[in-house]
Amino acid sequence: MNKLRKIAPRLSKIKKENPFGVPNNYFDDFSARLAVKLEAEKKTLPQPKNTVIRYLKPVLGLAASFALIFMLVYWPLKSFLPQYLAESETYIESTNEDDTFLSILERLDETLFFVVLSEPVSVNETEEAGFLDDELMGYLSANISDYELYLQTEN
Amino acid sequence: METDDRQLIAELRQENTRDLAFNRLVKTYQERLYWHIRKMVLNHDDTDDILQNTFVKVWKSIGSFREESKLYTWLYRIATNETITFLNSKKRRNLLPFNDVSDYLMENLTSDPYFEGDQLQMKLQQAILRLPEKQRIVFNMKYFDDMKYEEMSHVLDTSVGALKASYHHAVKKIEEFIKNTD
Repeated sequence: MNKLRKIAPRLSKIKKENPFGVPNNYFDDFSARLAVKLEAEKKTLPQPKNTVIRYLKPVLGLAASFALIFMLVYWPLKSFLPQYLAESETYIESTNEDDTFLSILERLDETLFFVVLSEPVSVNETEEAGFLDDELMGYLSANISDYELYLQTEN
Repeated sequence: METDDRQLIAELRQENTRDLAFNRLVKTYQERLYWHIRKMVLNHDDTDDILQNTFVKVWKSIGSFREESKLYTWLYRIATNETITFLNSKKRRNLLPFNDVSDYLMENLTSDPYFEGDQLQMKLQQAILRLPEKQRIVFNMKYFDDMKYEEMSHVLDTSVGALKASYHHAVKKIEEFIKNTD
């Protein structure tokens, strides 16, 4: 107070009273009016949602996004570009076959590998891979006439 | 924190005791907060609106009160922020420069039917509302409420040194205004 008197003598002479007033019974009625306002506020507050749904919401959102992407990208591709998908599926299959073959090779040790290589090719395999002479002659005589054979040899 | 406040907060956080505890909180702090707000906006009707908004905010955010400060310091802080938000909205509505709300407050003061002070007190209020916003708040809290700088520091989130400087400048400016209008 002494300090204030020293730096602000005129201010320190003014009565330090509250110059403001309030309407009669203002503070007595305040809490009742506030309760009315709070009730109104409570009605506008968002209701707490089910906890399980709240936690599952991001997961469900993610699943829905994937489903949407699938619908928008995969389904039109499948419907309008069947050839493209057929090719890509073939490629995937062949890749799988290659992978299987490589994995078998990796499992063989060196000695076993050369043993497999040196094994003679069986008769059955030759029959599967090509035609025998008798079969070829039989096919030609049944399906091609002598005249056509003559024309082929002339050319 | 005082035991009463701790008990009050515990009751406010429980669903079954919440309404009664909140009523007790309002009864305990309504006058102190009213005068804190009133000295900043001067007009009774504006003060009433801000005080109601303050308590609504307290109701909504009591769960987030971390009990690091005293309850009334937290309440003062909410009331101060609500008042500043109110004054800023007035500035925006009247397209006033960011720091200039003194004309609006001057009108509030002169048209206030509940002003009961004498001429000198009116002059003091006019001098106060010519101060920058922060100095006005600091001066009111120190001069009228006799609040400690440490408590003000928690309410206003400002260092004690800065608050002391603000109060000193405010006193000097008010003294100068009174001297010039004598």
